[in-house]
Amino acid sequence: MTLVAGTSLRISPLARRGGLKAAERRTGWLFLLPALTAFAIVILTPFLRALGLGFTRYDLQTPEPVFVGLANFRTILATPEILGAFATTALYVVFATAGSVVLGLAWALILNQPFRGRAALRALSLIPWVLPSTVTAFVWGWIFNSRFGVLNALLLSMGAIPYPTAWLSTPSGAMTAIVMTKVWFSIPLFMSFFLAGLQSLDKEQIEAARVDGAGNRAILTDHILPHLRPVLLVVVVLGVIGNLQHFDTIFALTGGGPVRATSVLSIEVYRRAFDQWDIGMASAIGLLWVATILPAAYFYLRHLLRGA
Amino acid sequence: MLDLSSPMARTVFLAVAGAIALYLFFPIYWLVISAFKANGELYRIVPTLFPHEPTLDHFRTALGQGRLPEQLRNSLTVSLSSASVNTALAIYAGYSFAKFQYAGRRLVMVMLLSAQVFPFGLLLISLYPIVTSLGLIDTRIALVFSYIVFALPVSTYMFYSYFTQVPSEMIEAARADGASELRIFHTIILPVSVPAVVTVFLYGFMWSWNDLLYAMTLIVSEDKRTIGPGMLLTYLNEVNADWGGAMAASIVASAPIVVAFAFLQRWFIQGVTAGSVK
Repeated sequence: MTLVAGTSLRISPLARRGGLKAAERRTGWLFLLPALTAFAIVILTPFLRALGLGFTRYDLQTPEPVFVGLANFRTILATPEILGAFATTALYVVFATAGSVVLGLAWALILNQPFRGRAALRALSLIPWVLPSTVTAFVWGWIFNSRFGVLNALLLSMGAIPYPTAWLSTPSGAMTAIVMTKVWFSIPLFMSFFLAGLQSLDKEQIEAARVDGAGNRAILTDHILPHLRPVLLVVVVLGVIGNLQHFDTIFALTGGGPVRATSVLSIEVYRRAFDQWDIGMASAIGLLWVATILPAAYFYLRHLLRGA
Repeated sequence: MLDLSSPMARTVFLAVAGAIALYLFFPIYWLVISAFKANGELYRIVPTLFPHEPTLDHFRTALGQGRLPEQLRNSLTVSLSSASVNTALAIYAGYSFAKFQYAGRRLVMVMLLSAQVFPFGLLLISLYPIVTSLGLIDTRIALVFSYIVFALPVSTYMFYSYFTQVPSEMIEAARADGASELRIFHTIILPVSVPAVVTVFLYGFMWSWNDLLYAMTLIVSEDKRTIGPGMLLTYLNEVNADWGGAMAASIVASAPIVVAFAFLQRWFIQGVTAGSVK
């Protein structure tokens, strides 16, 4: 308290003016003001604008947005390639989320065991997550390279494939590649969540169960997994949200190809907006994209704001 | 936690651990050793597991001839600026959410946090014309401010959950002593927030340093380009790819963030997982 000793004779001007409650309200908003202003400029305004633009025609031929009602949405429903982007996204989200959650959990259980060098291994495990997305795309692009890639060399030497696979230029190969890349750099974050959850596990309870003859499988299904259920839910929701939005490494690795096989919504919207300059359609697809995220977003926000 | 005394359990455990470790770490190993292989060794159908005649040529080329140093400087300027702006905005907002009671507080929190779940790509579409009409397209300032989109929601939440653990009695006592709210913030709250400030700063820095989407859309000039799109354009073009150069540049571009992380990872993980686990 020595820090404020020098100010002890001053009466807070805020407290004097409108009573403590009003002062608190005013100060609360005052502290919020800088962030709110920034939020209004770079997040709220663009979003409201996108909301409006989704109902306009605004493209290379139409330099100013023209209100067209639901026309964009009717076009979307009648355009198989756009509907395909929703299906592609669903596929990507399911595989990428499932992969990251399962492997993240497994890796957390492994790193929760006591062994020498565990702390160092935990730290090293975070590296995939902090790499710039271009770097991640380079690493995996090189591994998946059809002529000199180490993956093909490995599979060929094992006799698993008869000739080199062109991973990034076949539809299923490209999907495999973008999922493997995303899972790879999601494992560290998911593992961190699970490890944090595992730290609050009641060790004595598990010891007691062990004395009663419970094996590893019983410990896992009766104690560890039930304990981790809240974390698991959050991680799945975070995974779904993150994968629904993901853009960078997909764009860098496949650009949405071959033949739209990896054209998820983020790619679809980006291409329409910045390659074809069809802002109206891009915004309309974007709004439907937001709608797909809303249920997960609702759950996540409700969780974050418990007790607020 | 698991009992690995039986040979069977140990075998399964080691097999799974080995497989995941291989998946996680082999790509990093491959990135590093590929950067040190001369082209003759790099482009072989049957790859070598480690460089037989390690060379620094790729690093020399990347740092000497290319635009990499310039792009690194641009990334550093943009990332340090946006991380500073983000941290400053978030700390006041997080403090307000944690320590003040006022009508509308929860609603504003929901609004601000919901930005995190928004597709950044959608925001970019309408941010682009706004940035253009302000005459800020192709400026690093536009990039710095746009990066608030990524980091502000989570950063605010990190400060919020940090400040809820700071005892309110300290603030009450200072108020009773007549200290102004800003003074309380700067003399009491700020000094105890150093770990959170460091964490949030690194978080914001990481977002800007690693971004590709906004950087490649809002910046057009080659001399203002940051490393994300810069490397992509330099090393992977339609005709041929310089994989050795790409790997060397990748190591250089990753170094700052990996080093920062090595020192701060413990704080960082606590900050990022805060509130989501309990």
